[in-house]
Amino acid sequence: MAKSKTSSNDNTRSVKPGSLPYIWGRLRRNPGAMLGLSFVVILFALSFFSPMICRYDYQEIVMKERFSLPSLTHILGCDEVGRDILSRILYGAKYTLSIGILSTAVSCVFGVILGAVAGYFGGTVDTLIMRALDVFQAFPNILLAIAISAVLGAGFDKVIYAIGISGIPNFARMMRANILTVRSSEFIEAATSINCSTLRVIVHHVIPNAISPLIVQVAMGIASAALSASGLSFLGFGVQAPTPEWGAMLASARGYMRDYPHMVIIPGMFIMLTVLSFNLVGDAIRDALDPKLRD
Amino acid sequence: MSNAEKNLISVEDLVVEYHSGGETIHAVNGVSFSLEKGKTIGLVGETGAGKTSIAKAILRILPDHATQAVRGKINFKGQELLSIPEKEMCALRGKSISMIFQDPMTALNPVKPVVEQIAEGLRRHQNMSKAQSIQGAIKMLETVGISEDRAYEYPHQFSGGMKQRVVIAIALACNPELLIADEPTTALDVTIQAQVMDLMKNLQKELGTALILITHDLGVVAEVCDYVAVVYAGQVVEYGSREEVFDHPSHPYTVGLFGALPDLSKNVHRLSPVEGLPPDPSNLPEGCSFAPRCPRALEGCRKAPVGMSKIGDTHIVRCLLDGKEDSHGTVRD
Amino acid sequence: MARYIGKRLLQMIPILIVVAILIFSLMSFVPGDPVQIMLGDNATPEQIMETRASLGLDKPFISRLGSYLADLARLDFGKSYTQGTAVGAELMARFPKTLTLAFFSIIFTIVIGIPIGIQCAINANKLSDKVWMFLTMLGNSMPGFWLALLLVILFSVKLGWLPSSGDSGLNYFILPVIANSIGSLADIARQTRSSMLEVIRSDYVVTARSKGLSERDVIWKHALPNALIPIITVCGSRFGFMLGGTVIIESVFSIAGIGTYMVNGINSRDYPIVQGSIIYIAFIFAFIMLLTDLIYAYVDPRIKAQYISAGSKSKKRERGGIRKSYGKE
Repeated sequence: MAKSKTSSNDNTRSVKPGSLPYIWGRLRRNPGAMLGLSFVVILFALSFFSPMICRYDYQEIVMKERFSLPSLTHILGCDEVGRDILSRILYGAKYTLSIGILSTAVSCVFGVILGAVAGYFGGTVDTLIMRALDVFQAFPNILLAIAISAVLGAGFDKVIYAIGISGIPNFARMMRANILTVRSSEFIEAATSINCSTLRVIVHHVIPNAISPLIVQVAMGIASAALSASGLSFLGFGVQAPTPEWGAMLASARGYMRDYPHMVIIPGMFIMLTVLSFNLVGDAIRDALDPKLRD
Repeated sequence: MSNAEKNLISVEDLVVEYHSGGETIHAVNGVSFSLEKGKTIGLVGETGAGKTSIAKAILRILPDHATQAVRGKINFKGQELLSIPEKEMCALRGKSISMIFQDPMTALNPVKPVVEQIAEGLRRHQNMSKAQSIQGAIKMLETVGISEDRAYEYPHQFSGGMKQRVVIAIALACNPELLIADEPTTALDVTIQAQVMDLMKNLQKELGTALILITHDLGVVAEVCDYVAVVYAGQVVEYGSREEVFDHPSHPYTVGLFGALPDLSKNVHRLSPVEGLPPDPSNLPEGCSFAPRCPRALEGCRKAPVGMSKIGDTHIVRCLLDGKEDSHGTVRD
Repeated sequence: MARYIGKRLLQMIPILIVVAILIFSLMSFVPGDPVQIMLGDNATPEQIMETRASLGLDKPFISRLGSYLADLARLDFGKSYTQGTAVGAELMARFPKTLTLAFFSIIFTIVIGIPIGIQCAINANKLSDKVWMFLTMLGNSMPGFWLALLLVILFSVKLGWLPSSGDSGLNYFILPVIANSIGSLADIARQTRSSMLEVIRSDYVVTARSKGLSERDVIWKHALPNALIPIITVCGSRFGFMLGGTVIIESVFSIAGIGTYMVNGINSRDYPIVQGSIIYIAFIFAFIMLLTDLIYAYVDPRIKAQYISAGSKSKKRERGGIRKSYGKE
């Protein structure tokens, strides 16, 4: 059934379904995904330019403004020592975003390598890697991240490793499954039959064909990594308190939530919107790749 | 077709349209036929001609998500099937009208014992208790040649032929007046096909069920059917009694179909297939839909849709030539 | 079947031993001296030496590992460095709290999530489906602890209906259960929707419909049982994780469960606590996975047939046969 005719849009017709331009074409027509993408991009930009844009410094303490509610002077109000919450939120955005992205990069790189090796070679190597990952996966991600960060210590880079390592099994599993399907297809047989080296086959043939499901996993992975990051910081294992990481802001606001709920509501809202944005994008890509939803 | 009282079911101007990727797919385009009690009609045609859509439209089980429109009239014993409420339709399905599906491999629920799959229809329509319905189902299984000790097995434990027997048992459990069989033997091994066909024929005779047999196998039609409707691109292009159609195939498409059959009595070097492909159902030709493939197409064929004309007692054909040899001489080849 | 269960239970033993060795070795190389943390900065070197000796930390690694494993074989998880209590007993005491939270959370998840998913699949791509799918995605994106705080602000602080922390009665668990379920509920709803969508268009559902069954029977008796396997998978792993202790929810609501116990252990470098909880989590997870596999067999006769042949003696031949017929479906 070659009926992926989208008579309305010409540029998708020539593009191979599943390829990157195709995904982008589909994504552009998905309002949710575009909304999510713009939210993240704008947030990221604001975060970097926040010192220039914001009226208040994110660490400036003004005791007489303590707990002030959202108003025209302080759009999102002030915290327990009178720091402007909007400035802190914007400055803190880069932590959440970069922890999400970098830790997913860690999971992705190691996961893809492990999964590709396991899937391509099979046999004992496969069993060994997958059993090890099984044991890993018996532990909830957040617990695993806590354990790892207990070993590594607290701090921005440690959080990235902690969350990144705890996300490896997901990527490895997905990669392995894809490799297994790709490996059995005929064009791989053709490549090996003309004496391509194993590495060449993996790098040039197997990985490119497994790339699109990987993109979905990456988008979803960033979402869940950002969520774990805020959880870790909330518990005090992640980025530590004076830094305006959103989870850490929630943790310090917790003591005042009875009287000043805005201090709790606002950072949580931003965590949710950011995670939601990545989820929307991931979901849209998955839909774009699903041949069953194509007609 | 004059006496509506005599007919068990009559289909008039049935239209089924699907939508896919923003386009309308014209699967069935004004099909009419009727069938008396206990008789058999064969709907013959290529894959994609809309035969299955006709069957599913009668039972109202077309896929919701893809169906755009169903128009026309389907009269079953005085009831207008396309307009009665879903609840009444439910009461008819499986009781008065039932269907045998093409692929027995996927037609059975893999996680239910076969006996239960038959029994639930009995419970639904015959007001039976659980125990009674199981008894009835086991009897039905025996009727189709499956012994009681296999009744509680699951579909994956059966072979293809056995599964189709179960499907037949499900369809005939409530003694329906009309049975629709959608290519019931296509998915089976050649050796099993005859067995299953015989079983169906015998049961139909015994129970006095009317049968709509959808097939592309002209041999089966010759053996089983009282009437034949040749379906092309969602339209009936020729209709008549078996004798009429087989003795005087009149539409060029029908002629082509017969030409594609191996005839063992003659020493023909090659079969003559019908050249070309059926039209794209999302983009049908303006005139006769067979015209692009027709070896005898006239100027008029391409301009406007062609109507049905009567050429025999019950024999009608959708062709400007009315089944006559045209003046230009013979059929190509 | 019993044979299969027995085999699976036996397979768990080596896994648990490996986990025990792994975590014991890992803890030995973790930076941070537990004795130093216990005694504080003012401790004299003599005190430290003394405590090390009393905890057995001065012995070589191999002999410590050996005696730990030997104790484990007698189900003795050792004693906490900081509290002096038996880790096994403490885990047993905390288990009911974690179990209560996990049990009600998974029930809540299933009872709400699956019907939402089914409704969405039935009305796929209609407005109600889109709204619900967006809501579930929102639920998926919401930090559980944030929802917990919001629930506390609303129901405890403003309305005063429910207690905000503690674990001394079932009503203490209402807010934690809701906060704990939101993510899994959203997951289950989405999983149910997608696997129902796959099943709902299959031939046997059409067959069921052509029998004249009501739409409700078609969905609940024919489609759902066939869509259950992936749903059970998600439920199983979610339940396994919840039984491992939901650290953040337990800490927000001050529930003395296993999650907080382990985090306290990590914080105070209390190795026996950490090792004990990890072994417990590994065991409980493996156990839940076994349970999930057994539920598979109950739901799908084809899987049951595989298990039975996998447990029988002439396994190789039969297994191949059944795989083949399974693949045909």
